[in-house]
Amino acid sequence: MDTHAHDRRHFLALTAGAAATPLLAACGAGFGGGDDKGGGSAADDVTGSFDWKREKGRTVKALLNKHPYTDALIADLKSFTTKTGIKVEYDVFPEDNYFDKLTVDLSSGRASYDVFMLGAYMVWQYGPPGWLEDLGPWMRNSSATGAEWDQADFFPNLLQADQWSLKDGAPLGRGGQYALPWGWETNVVAYNTEVFTKLGLKPAESFDELREIAGAVKRKAPGAGYDGMYGIAVRGSRSWATIHPGFMTMYARNGLHDFTVDGGKLKPAMNTPEAVAFTQDWAGMVKQGGPPSWTSYTWYQCSSDLGAKKAGMLFDADTAAYFQAVKGASPASGKIAFHPGPKGPDGSLATNMWIWSLGMNAKSKKKSASWLFLQWATGKEHLRRAAVTGNHIDPVRKSISQDAAYKDKMRHLPGFIETFETVVDQTKIQFTPQAQFFDATTSWAAALQEIYGGKNAKSVLNALAGDLAAKVD
Amino acid sequence: MTTRKRLSGLLADAALILYFVFALFPIAWMVILSLKPANELFSTYFSFTPTLGSYRTVLGDSEGIPFVRFFVNSLVVSVGAVALSLLVGLPAAYASARWRFKGSENLMFTLLSFRFAPELTVIIPLFVLYQRLGLFDTYVGMIWVLQLVTLPLIVWIMRSYFADLTPELEQAALLDGYTRKQAFFKVALPLVKPGVAAVSLLAFIFAWNNFVFPLILTSNEAQTVTVGALSFLGGDRPKYNLTAAAALVSVVPPLLLALTIQRYLVRGLSFGAVKS
Repeated sequence: MDTHAHDRRHFLALTAGAAATPLLAACGAGFGGGDDKGGGSAADDVTGSFDWKREKGRTVKALLNKHPYTDALIADLKSFTTKTGIKVEYDVFPEDNYFDKLTVDLSSGRASYDVFMLGAYMVWQYGPPGWLEDLGPWMRNSSATGAEWDQADFFPNLLQADQWSLKDGAPLGRGGQYALPWGWETNVVAYNTEVFTKLGLKPAESFDELREIAGAVKRKAPGAGYDGMYGIAVRGSRSWATIHPGFMTMYARNGLHDFTVDGGKLKPAMNTPEAVAFTQDWAGMVKQGGPPSWTSYTWYQCSSDLGAKKAGMLFDADTAAYFQAVKGASPASGKIAFHPGPKGPDGSLATNMWIWSLGMNAKSKKKSASWLFLQWATGKEHLRRAAVTGNHIDPVRKSISQDAAYKDKMRHLPGFIETFETVVDQTKIQFTPQAQFFDATTSWAAALQEIYGGKNAKSVLNALAGDLAAKVD
Repeated sequence: MTTRKRLSGLLADAALILYFVFALFPIAWMVILSLKPANELFSTYFSFTPTLGSYRTVLGDSEGIPFVRFFVNSLVVSVGAVALSLLVGLPAAYASARWRFKGSENLMFTLLSFRFAPELTVIIPLFVLYQRLGLFDTYVGMIWVLQLVTLPLIVWIMRSYFADLTPELEQAALLDGYTRKQAFFKVALPLVKPGVAAVSLLAFIFAWNNFVFPLILTSNEAQTVTVGALSFLGGDRPKYNLTAAAALVSVVPPLLLALTIQRYLVRGLSFGAVKS
């Protein structure tokens, strides 16, 4: 799950620290540890026929975030060791602190972890300083990569999400492959079927309908026996994580952009008249039909409220609803259905995604063994097992999404498979790739809170755009 | 006693009780959460079937989180850090209270700045040093780095205790044939015992609660409860019952220590805190 509940101060301090590292290195502090090769990729050293046992006896160290996908991976590690003779040591940290740990590790230039989990947004932060290995040469080298890995089996939009030229504003899908898609989350609407039936409601097909339904649930559900139920759970904390699930999805479906790129220069676009109107409507929806203490809401609260029958709908990651929907997980389990959510005015179902990816430390001294691990972890064999026997529920591979055993497993959740199949091709990163992403989206969340608090949307967003224009210039 | 006085006394008592309830409410809420079974955690209707299941999970390693090991790690590094700080800090505090030399105040303020500087500003160089020196994820490394937290506290608070002692006492001991060392250990130190107890407890709590250093400078071997307890939050659903149980278990050592040295604590804190 992408809690993304970064403490902003921590994050900024770590980023500042990371930025200071080259300076310290220049002063002779000896950071960087760099004994890696110059221009070429270490992948070029792998020759001959592909062999899973090539690095037998090695140990790879992984930094993992606590997540059901991680649980499925750890449960299956023995099969990797049996297949390759490579041992995997791993550390698992809770998500609130995971990225702090990873940022320090990477910025120190010491390869204490060979492989790690990261989101596509992190490529925009970790890629430019050269902390991430470009996996493209490994993927292209048939001596390093077995034919069964089958690159064409990945949903192309997911593979492209981790591919970037490291230039602010440049589109994804070009340049180096800085991580591999491993597990992902699409942002859709999950709703309580019981309350919808009782109130005679149907899932919203437009944003206007969504706002109306959210308000109607809040007004009517308590009278229908759902004490304290409100309409829609969406994130609201002052964090970048607030922007990317439901908000960004609906924003994109309305044809809106975070930035425009003109002559290679980024220009904030959150203050266009259309964006202002949308943001005002979103804040209004939260006021009319959202949770009472919305400004502190992370995915934890959103997901829990759906499970506790406190929220009639959830507009967030499908996994956030899934873990409440499975049998016995919550008071609402068995009564949660999935829907792609409202379409944009032109029928758009553009959806923003969070993608758990696996990356390799550019300073790793065990790149060949690490690549075998990445290949296995993103391969069909493990991912199928993880999807069918574990909770790796949004497959990054087409073959697994169509696998009969996987479909059987997911079929009992009303609308899950249909929703997944409806949005999968239209789900991509809807943000403009740029290194200031976290700062920009955190400020955006703060602006959203101000508008929710009653400030004028236009002036708040104009101020935000002015501030961001200076930062991304 | 007039009716008015009695009434105001009653009101004062009521206000105190209200404040007591207010102050203890978060703890009481945590206790309730820790005793709730998972299926009642998010119920909107009132239901409470107390169970010790969360404590069994937390202490029994059934979530794959070795909480007991983290707990022992916390004990080892916190006790170790306080012991080392006392060993170094008490003579330092005594010396700084008794002798002034050029730059002595600057030295003391430099020491104090270690306490107030944000840990994150030094964490990357520390991380690199720890990796190179083999201190990463070790008890010794954690005890050493926690000196940044405990040593300034001990030196600065104990300095005011020693400054408060009249130097004539040690001078009399010197006249009686004691060496400086003996005067320190046999005269000055016993007199500031309540202060040592109080400051040790404070230092222990600060070391125990530290989060950033164990987060960045440990892996699995020397990880402490502050980082480890968060693992119970869960990656799929928030498991507040387990987190509450882990947090409550983590509170036990500082609480027991405070109760044990309560006698010294009240005297010690009221003594030293107002004198510097």
